Amino acid sequence: MNTIIFGALAIISLFIFFNLGKVKASRKQLDRSNRINRFGNQEPNNIIEGEAKEISEDDDQKNS
Amino acid sequence: MSRHSAINRFGRSTNPAFSRGFDSTSYEASMGEKMTLDGAVNKTGILLALCFSGAVIGWNIPALIWPGAIVGFILAMVTIFRNPAKAGSTAPLYALAQGTFLGGITLMYESAFDGIAIQAIGLTFGILASLLMCYKSGLIKPTENFKLMVVAGIGGIFLLYLVSFIMSFFGSGISLLSPTDGSLMSIGLSLGIVCFASLSLVLDFDFIEEGADKGMPKHMEWYGAFSLMVTLIWLYLEILRLLAKMRSR
Repeated sequence: MNTIIFGALAIISLFIFFNLGKVKASRKQLDRSNRINRFGNQEPNNIIEGEAKEISEDDDQKNS
Repeated sequence: MSRHSAINRFGRSTNPAFSRGFDSTSYEASMGEKMTLDGAVNKTGILLALCFSGAVIGWNIPALIWPGAIVGFILAMVTIFRNPAKAGSTAPLYALAQGTFLGGITLMYESAFDGIAIQAIGLTFGILASLLMCYKSGLIKPTENFKLMVVAGIGGIFLLYLVSFIMSFFGSGISLLSPTDGSLMSIGLSLGIVCFASLSLVLDFDFIEEGADKGMPKHMEWYGAFSLMVTLIWLYLEILRLLAKMRSR
């Protein structure tokens, strides 16, 4: 009986872990100002600020 | 014709510094592959499976207890302090080595207290699932103060372990840590240690969640899974000790 109860507890808990673990935490958890800041406030660093100019093949030919 | 005027004018560079390890696929891999919750949970599953396999080996060959413990400890130190980015190769070996240690230890407890292993396994995973639910729902909110409290508590516990370890060389030890000491004080201490080990699971969940949220590199999935495994193994050992103390009363 002991084995069945605790064995079932282990299996159910693992099932919960593998399903719930892949779900994002609630907004109540994520949208807090007092979260632990382990990685720093990193902004995406692949965005270059400034004006963008489209280069066409015609411009390339004019310059040469 | 290529749209990149520099390539048209000068041709593609043959400099090995620009070609080695910086082709389009590796560039996409380094820029594109981010840590995800799915990846971290799947890798925890792989580590758990390896730990169980190691435990089967340790259960059948109890002589591997101490080699498993020492190798596991060294691999944990290497992963934490030397190179967390290599957790993908050290964490599976750590899980396997610690598994052999856990298998042997579990056999020792099981021969003294019948049925204790399945109780400890059930309780460990039960705590894991219930704390995960509490964390995901926002019932437990890890803050800087929470982290400070848990880290301070763990520091104190490890100081106690260290003193007991040093005293064991002189033929004595802290009786409160002994699994055969069934006094209320000893059980209370074990309960406190189980509480701190459980709370550090919440910090691990938060580490994985934050890493995935901030798009950390893919290898952090292995590191997150590794830190979860370290805590789970500690929690399991402490629950075994607590149950043994309660049975010794």
